[in-house]
Amino acid sequence: MSRGGELFIFYEKSMPMIDEKIVSIQSEIEKILPSISSKEMLENFRIEFLARKGKVASLYDDLKTVPSEQKPVYGQKVNALRKYTEEQFQLLKSRLDSTVSEKEEFLDRTLPGRMRPRGTRHPITQTMEEMKSIFISMGFGIVYGPEIEDDYHNFEALNFPPNHPARDMQDTFFIKDDVVLRTHTTPVQIRIMKHRKPPIRVIMPGRVYRNEAVSARSNYFFHQVDGLYVNEKVTFAELKGTLITFAKSFYGSSIKYRFRPSFFPFTEPSLEMDITCFLCSGKGCRICKHTGWLEVLGAGMVHPNVLRNCGYDPEKVSGYAFGMGVDRISLLRYGIDDIRTFFDNDIRFLNQF
Amino acid sequence: MRISYNWLKKYIDVKISPEELSNKLTNLGLEVESVENLGSQYTGFVVGEVVEVQKHPNADRLTVCRVKVERGKEPQQVVCGAPNVSKGQKVIVGLAGATIPKNQHDPNGKPFTLSKVSLRGVESNGMICSEYELGLGDDKSGIKVLDAHAKVGTSLAEYLGVNDTAFEIGITPNRPDCLSHIGIARDVAAAYKKKYARPVFKLRENKKLSIYKLAKVKVEDTHACPRYSARLIENVKVQESPSWLKNFLSAAGLRPINNIVDITNFVMLEYGQPLHAFDYDALAQHTIVVKNAKTGDRFTTLDGKDHQLDGTELMICDGKKAVALAGVMGGLNSEISRSTKSVLLECAYFSPVSIRKTAKKLGISTEASYRFERGTDPNIVIEASARAASLIAELSGGEVAGGCIDVYPKKISPKKISLRTERVNDILGTSISTKQISDLLNAIEIKTQKGKRKASFVCHVPTFRPDIEQEIDLIEEIARHYGYDNINNQIPGDVIFTLQDKKEAKINEIRNWFESNGFNEIMTNSLIDNSLAASFSDKTVKVRNPLTIELEVLRPSLLPTMLQSVSHNYNHGAAKLHFFEIGTVFSSADLTRPNPVNGYSEQNMLGICMSGDANQLSWNEKLRPIDLYDLKGVAQSLFTKLGLDNIHLICYDASKSLTESAIDIEINNTYVGFIGKCKKIVLEKFKIEKDVYFAEINLDLVTEFEVSRKFSEFSKFPTVIRDVAFLLRNEVTVQEIEDEIRKAGGKLITEVTVFDIFSGKALGEGQKSVAFSLKLNSGEKTLSEEEIEKIISNIVHAVQSTFGAVLRSI
Ligand SMILES: [Zn+2]
Repeated sequence: MSRGGELFIFYEKSMPMIDEKIVSIQSEIEKILPSISSKEMLENFRIEFLARKGKVASLYDDLKTVPSEQKPVYGQKVNALRKYTEEQFQLLKSRLDSTVSEKEEFLDRTLPGRMRPRGTRHPITQTMEEMKSIFISMGFGIVYGPEIEDDYHNFEALNFPPNHPARDMQDTFFIKDDVVLRTHTTPVQIRIMKHRKPPIRVIMPGRVYRNEAVSARSNYFFHQVDGLYVNEKVTFAELKGTLITFAKSFYGSSIKYRFRPSFFPFTEPSLEMDITCFLCSGKGCRICKHTGWLEVLGAGMVHPNVLRNCGYDPEKVSGYAFGMGVDRISLLRYGIDDIRTFFDNDIRFLNQF
Repeated sequence: MRISYNWLKKYIDVKISPEELSNKLTNLGLEVESVENLGSQYTGFVVGEVVEVQKHPNADRLTVCRVKVERGKEPQQVVCGAPNVSKGQKVIVGLAGATIPKNQHDPNGKPFTLSKVSLRGVESNGMICSEYELGLGDDKSGIKVLDAHAKVGTSLAEYLGVNDTAFEIGITPNRPDCLSHIGIARDVAAAYKKKYARPVFKLRENKKLSIYKLAKVKVEDTHACPRYSARLIENVKVQESPSWLKNFLSAAGLRPINNIVDITNFVMLEYGQPLHAFDYDALAQHTIVVKNAKTGDRFTTLDGKDHQLDGTELMICDGKKAVALAGVMGGLNSEISRSTKSVLLECAYFSPVSIRKTAKKLGISTEASYRFERGTDPNIVIEASARAASLIAELSGGEVAGGCIDVYPKKISPKKISLRTERVNDILGTSISTKQISDLLNAIEIKTQKGKRKASFVCHVPTFRPDIEQEIDLIEEIARHYGYDNINNQIPGDVIFTLQDKKEAKINEIRNWFESNGFNEIMTNSLIDNSLAASFSDKTVKVRNPLTIELEVLRPSLLPTMLQSVSHNYNHGAAKLHFFEIGTVFSSADLTRPNPVNGYSEQNMLGICMSGDANQLSWNEKLRPIDLYDLKGVAQSLFTKLGLDNIHLICYDASKSLTESAIDIEINNTYVGFIGKCKKIVLEKFKIEKDVYFAEINLDLVTEFEVSRKFSEFSKFPTVIRDVAFLLRNEVTVQEIEDEIRKAGGKLITEVTVFDIFSGKALGEGQKSVAFSLKLNSGEKTLSEEEIEKIISNIVHAVQSTFGAVLRSI
């Protein structure tokens, strides 16, 4: 144990051994403190003085040998030294901690974050889901039917007589004489009407097929959402109201629309709904064939023959039905030129949705 | 159907612009698909009169003319280079801004646009044109001189009679009556509450000639041919039609041929009634027999095509041979030619079904068959025939023989259909009065008679409306003419609660899961190549009339079309492909199994396809390729997300044709799909070089399982974690060891996680080290150190004795 000369604390001749030790440790600490410049040195300092068997702690052992009347005095001194040492240690520690992080760990905040993978839903799914959710909010349920369909459901029950030119409206893929790839999702109407009793309010989404050459504007398969409402006293006026509500929710409340009389074998009266072309605001462009209008859906009152085919009495119930093509609408909404783009599934395309 | 504005106006006395008419037609359900201004190429050309001709002061071959181009206005100065220009001529002047269709000084005759120019110091305000320059002929020698009564200021389009607008109208199959100008005029006139005018003509017959002596008609099949009429016109001169007729046919989209054929086409476009003209002298025995073909007969139509007949076709025959495919196309053997002297004019009504069958089977569609298939008016036959005969007499100098053979054994009368006012308003949601209803119907020639019941009618539907068969058809006519816009828009007041489908919700959850885990949803073709399909299944479903052989068979699996998308993306430089698709797959099925359509089964499948990089290139992660465990993890995480447990993944030696190292997935002991690595032999078909991992899961089954999410109490006592590592033979699977650990550890083992696997020379040939982290919890108390030691030692002992494993220290 060395004894230093430059001590600030008092020195008494008659002091016992412990006193000398306190002074000596204190002076030693004060000498070392200014030289501590790293965490390692600080740790060594802690072990030397503050640890369980360190020099300051050992003073408590020495305290046991002090006569009892002097114990309070020296006890205080030892406590004071311990407090002083700990304070100095903490002070140095916090100083070293802060300098270390600034110097050793430069944080490049321009580094990109760790990205979570990003997936996409197919744009046609997105359009379809939006349509579904609007109809669900209007009280429609969702039902599905088979894509391989028989002639009865696809045509006959829907009032397409055999050898009728109306069948030319839908070029058909045949599997057998009386089995086809459904040309529309409308046959699901027949299935659901035969299966349930009115009131029925459902939509019928799904894939349909037409035997048409594949081009930028048409594909041999596409997706449809059909709708059906059958109840007592359903009117054409309600059909119009429903379609307008849908169109405003889907295309925006400011759109302009028009209803044109049209023809579908399974509805009468039939209509087609056009909305103002949203690409040219109705001025006329290539997409709307310079008419300013885009045809968005077909609809009508369920034909009494169809109701009868499903075992309903047209005098007691009436209904309306509608249908729209999802692919074409998606094409228009996203400004896509070629319908085949949807099915190339190029990730540069998919990642845009 | 193409409609000429000028001709339509001849039948209706309404002042409407082409634009207004176009809207009106569309609102009536006669959708105008396009409007074409036919005279537009002649804009800027007018008839002018040369009033003064002077020599050009600076050029010998040029003259300076003053041409009057507008009545009451000063003549314009025009410099002309033509040798034939002289004072007093009526000429065609192109004014500044007009485009000359053909430049006669350009070797290719390129068009050019006129502007005011100075020609050798003299101002010229236009150009006097030659026939060649206007595209009206080949004469380049000088300007075209018009006849003296041409009116100054008349536009060229008007002068030529081509100042017309053509409407392309999409006629729906239920409106055969609108496949004619008169039919459309009838609907438009009704919309304006006006009457339309029928053509006025006078038929002069030569009573000395009697058709009854000169020709015979016999109809054998009166079902397929309910009415057949014939007229005879002798001494015709077959020649070019006059320009009014040619202009009309061109405007309506038909090519002029000769006066006789043009007249039959004209009357068809006017009345909607197809007619056919035979060369009378080509008809053996001057006889017409309407009967079915014989099986094996051949017939050459006038387009030169030879057809094999099967005996179902209705034929028009003469005394010896067939001369026309009834209602479809005439024969080459009796067509009108320049040498034709007499014409036998056929005007008939054929059964729509009979014509359609023939036209469809032989793959022929003509203007005539198109109309007959949809239904013509049996009661217009005589008027249309007379109209055509009178025109033939007028334009070919022929004489119409007296009389008309008309075989019409059973008259087709107007249908009587009853209609109730209440029903009209119930369906439409309107309050249209009984009076309004009768007015609306009468305007389109449907006569109404008071019915027995109050506010009801008996309607007499003319035969030109075969589509109107029942009350609802009349209601549609009322709605159409009442105006869809005048019907209120009503929002249903009632509420129907519909149960939402759980399956729908689950599929949505699946899409969400994939979307948030970095997968792209794709949508692929449903049809694939037969040979490709055959390598996936032997129960494929084939389309009988495919577009191409590449699209012949319904996909038996999502894999082939998903691989097409993988291939497409690799060809376009993609590196990381994580795809899923939800779609239908098809197979033929046992007839005894219940299916919506007997013999065919459809399943809604989830396909997952992973290939290329497992992750995105970034600063903190190394790129690594996808492997089987990526896909297995996807499937396992997805099932966990869906709340499905009791899942067994069964590994077996791959014998399936598509994938190697396959794993079957069973949920509640039901097979729901598989996971695997595509075999090279499959990938080669798609020219894919990288590995592709694929899973296909039956969503019809997966969405069927009941999922009940219930809270289960978790242990209040601390979980102890212990790690153990074994040295094992390579062939021992992790699953086997895990099973052994759980067996030896019993209920106290709550989790077993593999956290390290490696092999290397240091471990010895065929050896691997597998480290597990075990979680222990009794659920009833805190495990003591001794208890833990005992369990671990049991586990180690079991694994050692079962697999000959060696415990490695960690
Ligand atoms: Zn537009």
